Amino acid sequence: MTDGWVIKNLRAIKGRAYPRVIGAIREPSWVFFEVVLPLFTVAAFAYVYQFMDAREELIGYVVLGGAMTAFWLNVLWSMAAQFYWEKETGNLQLYMIAPTSRMSILAGMALGGMLSTTVNAASTLVIGAFIFNIAFDVVDPLMLIAIFLATMVALYGMGMMFASLYMLFGREAHHLSNLLTDPVYLASGFYFPVKFLGAAVAAGASVIPITLGLDALRQLFFTAGAEDAFLSLEAELALLVGLCALFMVLAHYSLRYMEYLGKATGRLTLRWQ
Amino acid sequence: MDQEPAVRTEALTRVFEPKKKKEGSTVRALESVDLRIEQGELFGILGPNGAGKTTLLKILSTLLLPTSGKAYVAGLDVETQFNAVRQRINMVSGGEISGYGLLTVKENLWMFSQFYGIKSKVALQRIDDMLGEFGLLDKKDAKVRTLSTGQRQKMNVIRGFVTDPDIIFLDEPTLGLDVNASRVIRTYILDWLKDHPKKTVVLTTHYMAEADELCDRIAIIDNGRILACDSPERLKKMVRMNTTLSMDVTRLKDTAVFKTFPGVESFTFTEDGEKGLTKLRFVMRDESGVSDIVSAVLGQGSRIESLQKTEPTLEDVFIKMVGKGLE
Amino acid sequence: MAVMNDLRTIKNAAWLGWEMEANWADPFLFATYSIVKPISATLILVFMYMIVTGGNTDNAYFSYMYVGSALYMYIAEVLFGVTWIIHDDREHYMSLKQVYIAPIKFYAYILGRSAIKIAITTAGVIITLAFGVLALGVDISLWDVDWLLLLGSTALGMSCICVLGLALGGITFLTARHSIGINEGVAGVFYVMSGIIFPITALPTWAQSISKILPVTYWMDSMRRALMPDAMAELGSVAGVDVTGLSGISDLYIMVYLAISTAVFFALSMAVFKYADGVARRKGKIDWTSTY
Repeated sequence: MTDGWVIKNLRAIKGRAYPRVIGAIREPSWVFFEVVLPLFTVAAFAYVYQFMDAREELIGYVVLGGAMTAFWLNVLWSMAAQFYWEKETGNLQLYMIAPTSRMSILAGMALGGMLSTTVNAASTLVIGAFIFNIAFDVVDPLMLIAIFLATMVALYGMGMMFASLYMLFGREAHHLSNLLTDPVYLASGFYFPVKFLGAAVAAGASVIPITLGLDALRQLFFTAGAEDAFLSLEAELALLVGLCALFMVLAHYSLRYMEYLGKATGRLTLRWQ
Repeated sequence: MDQEPAVRTEALTRVFEPKKKKEGSTVRALESVDLRIEQGELFGILGPNGAGKTTLLKILSTLLLPTSGKAYVAGLDVETQFNAVRQRINMVSGGEISGYGLLTVKENLWMFSQFYGIKSKVALQRIDDMLGEFGLLDKKDAKVRTLSTGQRQKMNVIRGFVTDPDIIFLDEPTLGLDVNASRVIRTYILDWLKDHPKKTVVLTTHYMAEADELCDRIAIIDNGRILACDSPERLKKMVRMNTTLSMDVTRLKDTAVFKTFPGVESFTFTEDGEKGLTKLRFVMRDESGVSDIVSAVLGQGSRIESLQKTEPTLEDVFIKMVGKGLE
Repeated sequence: MAVMNDLRTIKNAAWLGWEMEANWADPFLFATYSIVKPISATLILVFMYMIVTGGNTDNAYFSYMYVGSALYMYIAEVLFGVTWIIHDDREHYMSLKQVYIAPIKFYAYILGRSAIKIAITTAGVIITLAFGVLALGVDISLWDVDWLLLLGSTALGMSCICVLGLALGGITFLTARHSIGINEGVAGVFYVMSGIIFPITALPTWAQSISKILPVTYWMDSMRRALMPDAMAELGSVAGVDVTGLSGISDLYIMVYLAISTAVFFALSMAVFKYADGVARRKGKIDWTSTY
């Protein structure tokens, strides 16, 4: 009996996740960089708040935001931009001729990269909290899990959609990822509550799932988070679930369309454009 | 009932437009190509660089769309039924650096097999068997980045065959390899077809000897057009009706003159600096012009060291068709 | 004659850098690196500041923070840029070996390529500062700028960053996989320790001792003194407290400290590069590509 579509795609996910997991285990020196590097920005911003005698929650928000940057950077550099690097090394065309869903390959990249991303996020959270004496006050753990999962699915769905764009890019992929780093830190409120940007900007930035995810996490981790909230937890969860569905559908169609466009223009396999 | 061909193209054309006008002009990579490759064939596509070989393979392997015309693989339209085509094919290119350097050979091959949904146990058994056949078993646990060029290309070829495709596209699979590595790959291809008579290999190359040794039929392609398509023997027969003449002479002052001789279909020469000889090779419509050639050589003060009538090679066919050699 | 050859190398390398990286005719690249990225990074701090102070930007610390953030681009972009030249030439363009075997001075080549990095970054710094002055009231007045101090400080600071980038470029010969990580780490140390966006007095005492041996600490302070002397004087004594931690040092001595610490870093960086270069040659790693 031949295996069904789901089983075959699960194998593809496992196959693509494997190099990232085994690479992380085989060459563990990355742990040092994943743990240390995010702490510099977190420490600098926390000292800025401390220097200005800011209320304690703001320093807590910096630590939380610093931890969440790991997921945003993972989506930008290790998933979306990865298709560009795969094209450079000749792997992309082998993925393209394989009888598997491109979303399975991208999901494999995401899951495989989760080990280093989680180490990065967790260590930033724990070490940041220790250095700056942050007290987390989790009141609703179930809601916390639901919000986090919905944020991740929506965020990685968005990453898959970006990956379709990157598929056709040459070296400009690098520039696009750079362009999307700092402005998103600003607009999504990684280091301060997003509502201070004004309702219109916060609403616009909510298209990026991490904006709503961070806003909800601030409410769930800190008692004062509710005062700084842009929307209520329930509304944010509902919107995040909506974004999950939206980005998954968009990713599916954009991957199909971009593959078609790549095949039509001959840009799917060219190197060094 | 007629068996569905492995590959069929109808007036297949591919045009590349430059992104910006100043970046160059339109390239017509394939021009109205009609091909029919039967199941079980080892079909060669022979042509110089830029002839359109890789473009043709990219279209057949669902990586590129035709500008016009049709292409079918296993009876399926590559444009609209690409998912079904992908379940039946695989592709290997020469000089490929696919995979991940920090994985071992076995892990890399297993990873690619997973994209084809093959059970791990089955995949690992096949990988072991094939590594043995390619003489790479001792490199099974070596990191890919430590492999030599030849070893890496053997691994790439295994990657293509390990998914047990019905049709495999090999784009210059022995490019830049030494004699031994090339021989192992060629032998494997022939054995694979012997063991799987319904499977098909489509191979591009610009090595004449490789095409001659391996292929059941060969299409000669240049500037995107198929110039001839037949078995190596029949292609050579086209030239055999002519006279093929090889001549070693002491250094000549002027070789260009021979191209214009009446009766000469094609003419090539190489210099052997060590022996101080010029090696001339003529394909002639008949033997009546031989005496004129001999007179011309002697007229330049050269001495004839050897002269023989030879069997035509695929290179002679190629030169006749394309108008120039591959080198 | 040798000098002419070096100048020609610098000119050609600068042209190459321009062609490769500074395509200012491309509005997308110009907007990305010289406007959007630096202004967004600085605006994060601006919003943090406004949330705490309620929007009052008429404050010496606001200018201190804003100018430091803008000038940090030199560290982030030029330090990274110089290392990246070596990494990119070796790993992606695979042209480093050609540069090595050419009859030119490698340092002249790097200097030429770096000049373009500095030029691009300078555009970004100027745009960010102009935005701060015009839109946010950052306390810089062209009439009050100490141009001599600015010029001397820029020359010393930039040479320090370039040669540090060279040293880190040397290290990429030996550990290419971590080249970006090491670079970000060094830039991160400066970001926290050198009084970039907050005065070093906010740091624990042990960390302040480290700050005072870093040339970037003196570079940033002297640049601020040159660009915004009034604000720096104001921060020198807030209710009798030296907020910056360096106010007691005169402009001349700040420059002396900058020169000495730069000389030490320069020597150390050159030694690191020469060592890494020697090891790379011995192990045949100059034309290595590790990305595969």
